[in-house]
Amino acid sequence: MQTPRSAYIRYGVALVFVGAALGLSLLLRSLVPDAFLIFFLSAVMLAGWFGRMGAGLFAVVVSMGLVGYYFIAPHQAFAVEVEELPYFLAFLFSAVVTSWLGSARRHAEEKQRAHLDELFEQTPEAILLVNAHDRVLRVNKEFTRMFGYTARELADRTSLDLIIPPRVRAEALQSRERLAAGQHVNLETVRTRRDGSYVDVSEVSFPVIADGKCIAYYTIFRDISERKRAFEQLQKAQAELAHLSRITTMGELASSIAHEINQPIGAIATNGNAAVRWLGQNPPHVEDAGEALECIVRDANRAAQVIGRIRSLLTKNQTAMFHLDINEVIREVLVLTREEMNRRGTAAKTDLAAYLPPVLGDRVQLQQVLLNLIMNSLDAMNAISDRPRELRIKSSRDPDSVSVQVQDSGQGWEARHSTAIFDAFFTTKKDGIGMGLTISRSIIEAHGGRLWAERAAPHGAILHFTLPIAVKFE
Amino acid sequence: MKDQVFVVEDDSSMRNALKNLLRSVGLEARLFASAQEFLEDKRPEVPSCLILDVRLPGISGLDLQKELAKANIHIPIIFITAHGDIPMSVRAMKAGAVEFLTKPFRDQDLLDAIQASLSQDRVRRQKAGELAELEKRLQSLTPRERELLPLVVSGRSNKEVAAEIGTSEITVKVHRGNLMRKMQAATFADLLRMAAELKIPHTQRQA
Repeated sequence: MQTPRSAYIRYGVALVFVGAALGLSLLLRSLVPDAFLIFFLSAVMLAGWFGRMGAGLFAVVVSMGLVGYYFIAPHQAFAVEVEELPYFLAFLFSAVVTSWLGSARRHAEEKQRAHLDELFEQTPEAILLVNAHDRVLRVNKEFTRMFGYTARELADRTSLDLIIPPRVRAEALQSRERLAAGQHVNLETVRTRRDGSYVDVSEVSFPVIADGKCIAYYTIFRDISERKRAFEQLQKAQAELAHLSRITTMGELASSIAHEINQPIGAIATNGNAAVRWLGQNPPHVEDAGEALECIVRDANRAAQVIGRIRSLLTKNQTAMFHLDINEVIREVLVLTREEMNRRGTAAKTDLAAYLPPVLGDRVQLQQVLLNLIMNSLDAMNAISDRPRELRIKSSRDPDSVSVQVQDSGQGWEARHSTAIFDAFFTTKKDGIGMGLTISRSIIEAHGGRLWAERAAPHGAILHFTLPIAVKFE
Repeated sequence: MKDQVFVVEDDSSMRNALKNLLRSVGLEARLFASAQEFLEDKRPEVPSCLILDVRLPGISGLDLQKELAKANIHIPIIFITAHGDIPMSVRAMKAGAVEFLTKPFRDQDLLDAIQASLSQDRVRRQKAGELAELEKRLQSLTPRERELLPLVVSGRSNKEVAAEIGTSEITVKVHRGNLMRKMQAATFADLLRMAAELKIPHTQRQA
């Protein structure tokens, strides 16, 4: 809000306007006799605009006197001839109206300005206005609250010094360049408060352009710490759930996995026996024994690998994104589920595209998705006896993603359940908890991909997922 | 020809380990990754046995056992499994398996079972060979001689036989001599044993 100008100034300025009108009128009287009308009406209007109604009316009164004295017969006298009276009164009326218009205009302007000021101040988002050299011009109340500075402390300092932490300085300079080029900048980033603490913000910046030049920049900040914390908590809860679901799945697979470990151990024992026998012969068959020992080493490594994979699936780890070959992930999961497939009389057919580009992903999470999809398929085929139980796993390359399909010849689902299958706690299994696909989808989406299902003809289901190709090495 | 051990095991490590073990005791092994492959193979007619994994992709070990029995293939079977349960082993043994071993097993157990199986198969093959020979001899009999055989082995005298088939005692005697010769029976006891092998029924004396 602007402070009202003092009465002296307002009335003084009114006098100046009227004086100027008189001067111009006298000067031009010989050329344009009635020009005084325009000059005086303008003076009255300006006085009203500048000094409001009081000064306007004051200007009217002074103008009446001067007009009566100089321009209306009898000249050089404050009297007005009777026949000139209507003319004079018309002028008076115009002057009053004009001065009122001037002051009304002023009033409206001030009101609008007050509104804008109010809006600026009361906006629940922090607003910062800096000039072209990043010096703070103006901030609102929320800004001072969010960042802990008073308006006085901010004056004439640069936003770079005040609120931009060193670690995102480069980013800030980059967005400043874009602003200077006339672009808007949307960022989710971090800023520092006066006390040095960090605040997560979503900010929108845009330039103020006058005559084709950026003269200032507005930035609007929204505090998203709460949102971010909630999101992180959600992620944590999801990871927890995914971990639990992994453990459940692994529990279901326990006997099959035991088989998968027992197999190499059995081979080790047998090869060990063979080696002992080769060496016990006279003369010892060292070469044959060596061959058996090599097999032992290989099988021991294989057992260790299986155990390592199980352990990584069972440990609760932080998301770790690496460049992965999705085919390798598929093969690893097939090792863990091979025995389960044998047990259930299902054959897996793979059709994996050669030379797939890497995707950026968390190995354990992607294994979990595949594990879920494969276990679902196996479950869906449990009741099938009139046709082969077939599981097909296919990987292929799309323009900018890698896509994987898991198809079974199982019972599928009813058409009306096509969307529900991704809902939490929806299940068609007797003892399912209905989280597998929900978790799988959230994992794939967190990887920037998509997971969807379709019913296969004539039987079964196809689950697809895509993962964007990792183009950048970071 | 050498004895032959067949191994049907889907796990390649285990398959090779078994080959190594068998080779170390001088046994030849033929390896198969699935029951299907084994069925498609042409097996030589030598004493043999089959080491069979219970769980296999496609046709399971127990199913293969059934298939073989149905097809009248009498190869002795030693089951191996990574985690067998009791009902499974009972089923296998009831269906005639020689042994049911759980991995990892003691090599001596396996080798003993193999030796037992091979000698069992050897005996069976020998018996089968003998039976085939007897059947060949049976085929060489004339219809009259074949008619005579059940009566003779039922313990009837030449006279009784002659009466029963309506011929003279002397004719029966000649036929009987031919019968003994063609069947290569040195004594009547020999002939009785052969008749038993060939499952020739005794006939009831007519009243």
